[in-house]
Amino acid sequence: MTKDELKNYIDTHYQEKMKFLDTGRFDLMYEVTKENLLEISKALRDDENLKFDFLCCLSGSDTREHFEVIYSIASVTKRLRLDFKIVFPYDQAEIDSVQDIWPAANWYERETWELFGIQIKNHGNLKRFLLPDEWDQGYPMRKDWDAPDFVRMPEL
Amino acid sequence: MGIIKKLPYYSEKIPGGGIIATRLEAILNFAQAKSLWYLLFGTACCAIELMCTGASRYDFDRLGMIFRASPRQADLIIAAGTITKKMAPRLRRLYDQMAEPRYVLAMGGCTIKGGPFYYDSYSVEKGIDHIIPVDIYVPGCPPRPESLMEGCLHLQEKIKKQKLSDWQGK
Repeated sequence: MTKDELKNYIDTHYQEKMKFLDTGRFDLMYEVTKENLLEISKALRDDENLKFDFLCCLSGSDTREHFEVIYSIASVTKRLRLDFKIVFPYDQAEIDSVQDIWPAANWYERETWELFGIQIKNHGNLKRFLLPDEWDQGYPMRKDWDAPDFVRMPEL
Repeated sequence: MGIIKKLPYYSEKIPGGGIIATRLEAILNFAQAKSLWYLLFGTACCAIELMCTGASRYDFDRLGMIFRASPRQADLIIAAGTITKKMAPRLRRLYDQMAEPRYVLAMGGCTIKGGPFYYDSYSVEKGIDHIIPVDIYVPGCPPRPESLMEGCLHLQEKIKKQKLSDWQGK
């Protein structure tokens, strides 16, 4: 299945739940709502023609307007790649865990929680693991984060 | 070290005893400077240059620099690479485990002032002199082996100038 065929397939089968975004540079990028996340993830994994069985990366993002969590998934058997993201405002920073679908999400979700402060529902092991144990300065990857010894790059 | 420290006190009492103290100082300093065993502490790309310096082309051995994997056998700690805030307590602990006299060489921009991670970084310690006392700074990103060897020669000069009373430690 080529990239265009994949796009056609997704558009016909998942049209109402996945919105195509024209921002993906190498892979297709879709937007999924927070409520549909688990359902869509499970459908993409279990679809006989797609079999997205591999979570390559899960990353958070702060665009100064809202949070995003981007999921990059791949199919090893069908040789496909796909990205989708969920967008939500700052005051609703809580998403579902996709560990039941892709167990690899465990550490990525811990990282997202630790650096962005995005709460993960039903994670089960939401403990600190990248920052120092005694860290008490908040979530450093947020754009509005600041600390006494943090030096921001001056505007040129 | 107790006997050596008190030796000038006793030797001054015998005629011509001052010569013993000064000669002994020179001999001990020479021995110390020419066999600096360094602790392997490579945390980033500077470690590659450190390895290169230790390998046959640049041959660190001819300066008496032999790598040690244990802080208890090392005289010098070459901090090669970025020290993050999480790594800082470990560096301090390794430094504390080293026997006196001990020296520190800060290799590369990261260990001097944070280097390329000075701006916009939440995790990098901006200079290891916040954690341990540094004797020699070797700038570069990463410094070439020649720079590192130059720094070690400067450290040797520094050691050769120290007094017997310095032997107790800094």
